[in-house]
Amino acid sequence: MNTTVWLSQVQFLTSLGFLLLFLLLELGLAWVLLLFKAANHLAQDNTWVLAYRFWVRVYALAAILALAAAVPVLIQIGSLWPGLLDRIGDVAGPLLAGAILTTFIVKSCFMGAMLFGQRGLSDAAHTAVVLMVALGTSLAVFWAVALLSWMQTPAGVGFLNGKYFVINWYEVVLNPSVGWIFLLLVAASGLTVAFVMLGVIARRASSLPADGSAVHVFRTGAVIGLAAVLVYAVAITGYGKMVADHQPAKAAATAAYWHGGSQPDLALFGWPDERRAQTSGLIAWSHAGGKWLGRDETGRLLGLDHFSGMHPPVALTFWSFRLTLAVALAMVAAACGALWCMRRKYIEHGDMPPAWRIFFSSLTFLGWVAGVAVLCHVLAGLAPFVVNHTVTFLEVVGSTAPVHLLIGIVAHLMVYVLLMAGFIHLLRHGVQYGVVPVARRRGRA
Amino acid sequence: MIVDTLVQLLGFSAEDPAFWMPLVFMGLLFCIIVAAVVLDGFDIGVGCLTLFAPPSLRPRMMSLLGPWRDANEFWLFLGLGVFVAAFPNAWGAIMGQLYLPLCLLALGVLLRSVSFEFRLRAPAGMQQRWIIGFGLGSLATAVAHGLLLARLVVAYRSGDGYLVFGVFVAICCLAAYCLLGAAWLIMREQGALRLKAIFWGRRAVRWTAAGAVAVSVVLAFANTGVFLKWSDGPQWTMVAVLWFVLLLCFVTIELSLQRMVTHSDRATLLPFLATLLTFLVVLGGMFYSFFPYLVLDDITIWDAAASVDSLRLILAACVVALPVALIFNIWVYWRMFGLSRAPEPPELKRIDA
Repeated sequence: MNTTVWLSQVQFLTSLGFLLLFLLLELGLAWVLLLFKAANHLAQDNTWVLAYRFWVRVYALAAILALAAAVPVLIQIGSLWPGLLDRIGDVAGPLLAGAILTTFIVKSCFMGAMLFGQRGLSDAAHTAVVLMVALGTSLAVFWAVALLSWMQTPAGVGFLNGKYFVINWYEVVLNPSVGWIFLLLVAASGLTVAFVMLGVIARRASSLPADGSAVHVFRTGAVIGLAAVLVYAVAITGYGKMVADHQPAKAAATAAYWHGGSQPDLALFGWPDERRAQTSGLIAWSHAGGKWLGRDETGRLLGLDHFSGMHPPVALTFWSFRLTLAVALAMVAAACGALWCMRRKYIEHGDMPPAWRIFFSSLTFLGWVAGVAVLCHVLAGLAPFVVNHTVTFLEVVGSTAPVHLLIGIVAHLMVYVLLMAGFIHLLRHGVQYGVVPVARRRGRA
Repeated sequence: MIVDTLVQLLGFSAEDPAFWMPLVFMGLLFCIIVAAVVLDGFDIGVGCLTLFAPPSLRPRMMSLLGPWRDANEFWLFLGLGVFVAAFPNAWGAIMGQLYLPLCLLALGVLLRSVSFEFRLRAPAGMQQRWIIGFGLGSLATAVAHGLLLARLVVAYRSGDGYLVFGVFVAICCLAAYCLLGAAWLIMREQGALRLKAIFWGRRAVRWTAAGAVAVSVVLAFANTGVFLKWSDGPQWTMVAVLWFVLLLCFVTIELSLQRMVTHSDRATLLPFLATLLTFLVVLGGMFYSFFPYLVLDDITIWDAAASVDSLRLILAACVVALPVALIFNIWVYWRMFGLSRAPEPPELKRIDA
């Protein structure tokens, strides 16, 4: 396999993954903060305000990381894949511009007021600003997801002289996979924020006496976690069906279904060996896999041998999907555990057993695992194509020397590790000692 | 007149959207680049200078930047957004040639954006480290701008000579941002910081001048088309005026900095304005040299432009976003000149229990 292509893919996936982590947290927290504000209007005491104050600081950290991490991704779309925009510029250009302009409007009109202008606004107006931030962030993410999903299932376009041109924008944006991928992202962001909330409260229970807000936050986290995991299950099912219909190669790789027309077992566990075209150590549910595979016009199931080598890396696709499912199962269990803790009123009484504390604080970033696993499956499952069935990675890759790419990857990784360590340090510090308010005044310093 | 020539050359009519829309976006892109260099420039410059500043002055330098951070972060995004949306056919041809400098740029911008915000929220012991992160990020950004500029000017040719030129331009670019940052600090702040800034400015101004000359000369002599454009016809007066303005700016900066050391600290606005004018002249000259090409002698803005339908869509989006951008930026930046004013203490509402 071409080294440049491979290194470029690794680098792009790393950058996109890092962006995704904080985007999930930002998106989820934006809605959770709105929930806290809304609950505060209904409640009589100030406990929801305390919750808002703590989590808005975490939100500010996630928001700046998400915004800044978008720079490498945007630049790498050009520097790693110079041929890409020549081919899909007509579709990608307006969608990227939409995402950037939406973010710009959210940031300039609303986010400053949300983070630094609370004192100057009435409570209702501030809640409205928080609502606009949540809506705007979701819209910006939606444009990006629309582009990503259009590349999975191109629709509403024509293809002439190696270039795509748009025929119908509604079909482009509302392509067959956009709904399921967006729903997956929403569910993953719900899971991320729910488990961060549970983990933080469990960790804080060991150092600080619980204030009134801890009960609310823990309860919100448990409910959101349970709801998000259900949505996640629905979204995975829908996404699996969509993949079977529109991306048979990805479906076959996910199921490790090697030979077309053979008995479709549902592979649960095993190690797909691409060279020998079989799965070693297979544990399967016989005859149950047919629903999740693509079929040709005659109704015959499409196996990996149908695609004459143009199928995704089987082991990665297979395992990223199994990881997605495993994480989902773990999260169902954990969310039920959180409900149980709520029933026993551990937080109210401040006597959460150490085992539960360690359990929840070790699961703090489980939502991120779910998000990255989904991203891996969505992107790796599309390879060797960038745009399904038409444009391959090999066509759009640049001529950068592998050594340079390696330098770039190492440099990026170093900065990412540094920033991640900084984020976790700040979060821990906030959990242990509380957060500090930050002021910023226009034009004055 | 230029429009007529172009219209005839390309065989469009002047009312044809395929003709004027790329021009509009080129203008927009140029405005964003100018705004980014000028408005984000002092931010980058002050960031680089924190590396040379004594630790006691660093927090003040950071807090002076505070009010502009939110707006300054966005110029790169807007520039990239307009570029990718309006000129997708040149995007890959340009970006694909610049992998390493772009890596440096991306990491620099990432590091400085995050470090600035993290420093505000970090415990006291960690703040100095995040300031260093901000400084290193700014340094990387400035150097990356220099490397990108050098590659752009020599039309992406590679070789040892071009590498040396790239390093030289990177150093000069760093000096130019330091000069801009120092001139801004001289205007914003009094006391020890102003003295330091005068010292930094005097160090940086000669390198800046060397860089401006080097870039202009290499741009003209490495590209025949550009040389012909400047030397052909009645442009000699124009060239002379531009060089004279540049010379005048550098002499003004040099003299006024000298004067601030020896005589007085009046007219503190002057070095900043002169530096801004230098930046504008160099950028304007480059823009004129390149126009109508995005990649010299290869891809024009009309070759690079997206289809008319896409452009129309983006233009509609820009018409919505532009007023917001203008109002927001004027609102944010209108106090960037003159001495910094301290924030007023907030009005605390009294709550009677």
